[in-house]
Amino acid sequence: MTLTVDERWDLIEKISKETVTFGKYKHTLKDAIGELTVKPLTGIPIAIAVLYGFWSFFGSFAGFFTDGFFCKLFDEYWLPWLQDVFPGGLGNWFYAIMVDAGHMENGILVASDSCFESFGVLTSGVFLAIGVVLPAIVAFYLMLTFLEDIGYMPRLAVLIDTVLHKIGLHGYAIVPTILSLGCNVPAVTACRILETRKERFIMMTLLAIFIPCGAQLGVMQKVVPQYVGFILIFLAIGYFIAGFILHKIIPGKSPEILIDVPPYQMPMWRNVSMKMWMRLKHFFKTAIPFVLLGCVIVNVLYLTGFIDGLANVLAPVLTVWFGVPKETVAPLIAGFLRKDLAVAQLSTIEMTKYQMITSVVLISIYFPCLATFVMILKEGWKELLGSIAVLGVVTFLYGGLLHLIWILLGVA
Amino acid sequence: MDKNKIGAVYFAILGAVTLAFGVVNLIVSAGGEDFTTGILNIPGDPFRGGWGGLIVLFAGIFYLLSIKNFDEIHQFGKAVMGSILLWIVAGMDIFAMITESIPGGEEGGWFNTLEGFLGTYAPPYPPAIFLLPFSLVVIYFIKKRR
Repeated sequence: MTLTVDERWDLIEKISKETVTFGKYKHTLKDAIGELTVKPLTGIPIAIAVLYGFWSFFGSFAGFFTDGFFCKLFDEYWLPWLQDVFPGGLGNWFYAIMVDAGHMENGILVASDSCFESFGVLTSGVFLAIGVVLPAIVAFYLMLTFLEDIGYMPRLAVLIDTVLHKIGLHGYAIVPTILSLGCNVPAVTACRILETRKERFIMMTLLAIFIPCGAQLGVMQKVVPQYVGFILIFLAIGYFIAGFILHKIIPGKSPEILIDVPPYQMPMWRNVSMKMWMRLKHFFKTAIPFVLLGCVIVNVLYLTGFIDGLANVLAPVLTVWFGVPKETVAPLIAGFLRKDLAVAQLSTIEMTKYQMITSVVLISIYFPCLATFVMILKEGWKELLGSIAVLGVVTFLYGGLLHLIWILLGVA
Repeated sequence: MDKNKIGAVYFAILGAVTLAFGVVNLIVSAGGEDFTTGILNIPGDPFRGGWGGLIVLFAGIFYLLSIKNFDEIHQFGKAVMGSILLWIVAGMDIFAMITESIPGGEEGGWFNTLEGFLGTYAPPYPPAIFLLPFSLVVIYFIKKRR
């Protein structure tokens, strides 16, 4: 049976009369609060408060497990036990890779007394992955899932839409941006929600360069807590400056979008737990092997003298242009595998507050970790090459600019 | 007096006090050192003092914006939002206390002693915790509307 256009409209009207109730809609408290969260004048203070809650929960939750229990477990029990029972002992290359490379004191090789210094696969590798990064990742994804499920994230997208248009993106770019604070890998995949190639390229490049992942944030919070605020401010400024420049020079469109904003609702704990489990499973699969592999590679490079050689070659660039010690070359190599591993390594190098801020910013921006690198490659080799070109220029200019700021302030 | 009028007066007073606490918080954090008097402690660090103080200030502004035409739903929403902002700051202060009170610390055992545990909850408290019980009054007005 075929219906004419008029007959179809008649049928629609008939069905709607029977199924839809018409009347005057009375605004509820949920509607009123929903409106307050998307209007800039009231929405921005609310967003500032939500971010405060997010960050505060992150710090307290991760600190509770890492400082409260894992540091004690790994430094007072796990490390000494492995130092006792593992075959070889200080000076043996296999022992150095797996347990403790030790360090020189007055010309004598001495054992490390914390898992941050030992840098063995079974000590620092396992401690970073389980003791430092895992609590940070759990805290981050718990908060993110909660905000998604109560319906705040689409409102944040609406609120930030105007700002993100200045850098060639639209409000929904906040999803990969915030996801990236957990892990860059799913964030690269989330870039597919952006319509045009230009938007996806800008987003992937910005998140690979300027957004530290949850693992890196967790380690930063542990080893340089007093500088985390400064580092994040520098990264946020870089995010917008680089985004603005990319928007101007890259051809293509950045279209408007329509966002469906759902009403606020109570989260369903079954959904929250399922999402948490999926995200944590992903973390276990991608992050932990890279942390362990990173420890092996960095130790092997140390033992073969490659890192010392490279540090000497790159010394002029590192010390003169960036103003950081030449020893930071080892964390820069480790950063390609895992950024959290690299930041942990930085904490063992002696440097000033300003050198530490520059070093952590450099670690964050100089290259995406291997897993993110592979994900961007999956999106297209042209995107990958473009991102690498941008980050090369950005690292050189931004690192140099930071050094210049410290010189002008008279602290470098 | 009409209950909505009582609500408007109540949130005007609470708003003024909250706003004042927010301003003091920001001034103290600009100095960089904690300020403690009696059972009140105003944190001087940029995070809890500066960022947290800014949110307390916003909460005060939300309360004050809500008092005109208080019974209208959008206006009342502002009072609710003011309370939510205070709950975020105070909730995080309490959560931080809980997470600090359980572990034994670097020198102690795995878990805190009973004295140490209870001692974490002893005063002084930051301003948001003092404002917390007063902000809960908004729940009464939400229930009344239902």
